[in-house]
Amino acid sequence: MQLPNFKKFLIEKGGLSEKEFVQITPFIRTKKIPNNEFLLKSGEVCSHSFFVEQGVLRFYALNEEGKENILQFATENWIVSDRGSVFFQEPSTYYIDAIEDTLTVLLDEEFVTNVVNINSRFRTQNEKLLQNHIRHLYKRISLLIGASAKVRYLEFVSMYPDIMLRVPQWMIASYLGITPESLSRVRKALAKENFKPQ
Amino acid sequence: MKTNNERSIEKVTQPGTPHFVGDGFRVHNFIPGTSTMQRMDPFIMLDYNSKYNFPATDKPKGVGVHPHRGFETVTIAYKGRVEHDDSSGGGGIIGEGDVQWMTAASGVLHKEFHETEWSKTGGEFQMVQLWVNLPAKDKMSPPKYQAIVNSEITKITLADNAGEVEVIAGDYQGYKGAASTFSPVNMFNLKIKKGAKTQLSFPANYTTALLMVEGDAKVNGSTNAPQDHFVMFSNDGESFIVEALNDAVVLVLSGEPINEPIAAHGPFVMNTQEELIEAFQDFNTGKFGYLED
Repeated sequence: MQLPNFKKFLIEKGGLSEKEFVQITPFIRTKKIPNNEFLLKSGEVCSHSFFVEQGVLRFYALNEEGKENILQFATENWIVSDRGSVFFQEPSTYYIDAIEDTLTVLLDEEFVTNVVNINSRFRTQNEKLLQNHIRHLYKRISLLIGASAKVRYLEFVSMYPDIMLRVPQWMIASYLGITPESLSRVRKALAKENFKPQ
Repeated sequence: MKTNNERSIEKVTQPGTPHFVGDGFRVHNFIPGTSTMQRMDPFIMLDYNSKYNFPATDKPKGVGVHPHRGFETVTIAYKGRVEHDDSSGGGGIIGEGDVQWMTAASGVLHKEFHETEWSKTGGEFQMVQLWVNLPAKDKMSPPKYQAIVNSEITKITLADNAGEVEVIAGDYQGYKGAASTFSPVNMFNLKIKKGAKTQLSFPANYTTALLMVEGDAKVNGSTNAPQDHFVMFSNDGESFIVEALNDAVVLVLSGEPINEPIAAHGPFVMNTQEELIEAFQDFNTGKFGYLED
């Protein structure tokens, strides 16, 4: 199976050479998730991190009224997981499902060990990914607490440039922590500011 | 045996598994599905909704708001009716036999749905949507529409009353098509009666293909082109012969390749990766305007 995105990821972010990538190929396991199907449900122990080769996943919680609160989208080259559930081997309180037919690469400690055995630098690179994830979460929390809907939206689309075309508006509003109506207002105001008919 | 100036057939493709665009268009993709955008240049996308019965509904089916930049969309309605709106305030209805030629160019947001009245009864729906690439110099020109109703399309009767040619765009034996184009594009509906045959000819370098909208035909005397199939020609000659095995409607496409780099992602078709990134940024920050869902 061709995995151009995962290959690029391991070479650019993981520090592997082309030759080392070929060596780890036998250890790569993939999973296809059809649109609307789940990779993780609340109550299950999350077994892996999922690298998105192709498609879109979302990571969300349900509140007490059954409303979905989306914590993260994962488009191509993103990794999504309930890291706490994986590490502490405890039941997750989250869901991961597919918004498009999605192809993922399964990442776990065994895979990381296999890669490290081939190139020990990968241990540090993997640590860097975790630190980057934490940094991203801090930023996300501070935007949710303190930023206007417009700033949140602009940050969001700069991080996920093509997602407005792939995900329903209500999900984007959920991610941003605003109502779909507020999202419409933000987009309308931006259009008013920036649209210059020729 | 290939005659001197005969254009041979590269391949005949049967319609693949259909997929839905929104919930209103059940399409077989022929371009780039059967080939690449580069090979099919200037025709960079062709979705064909073969005849399909949509049940009656009060909530019209279709595709919600989405952007386009860098090319033209051509919608040809064979069965059913579509209404559309866009961010520049344009809109209208494409009825049976009509063609809508939308120059997205620098960018529009639009939405397309089955016409409200038509949806209430539903029925047979058959449509083609084609994307025609724009030369680099025209990609950022202002958007515009050509709403071409069937009565405005030039119709030429074939010799011996063998049928007729509707010239949507381009030139058929000196008769000009209704649509204006940015690069040389010929687009005809060839309506040919059972048993009749006709010859068509285009410059050898033009990308040339047929879509069998209705009926079956034999091409160049020997190759079968059944209904809903797509016939792609080589560039080894100019002319080919279509012989109808029953009353047939054939969409004929022939265009001069633009021969510029293509960078495409979703609804944007530009020349470079940088222009694509800019297209996404412009779309996300409201530069395409706003259109209510």
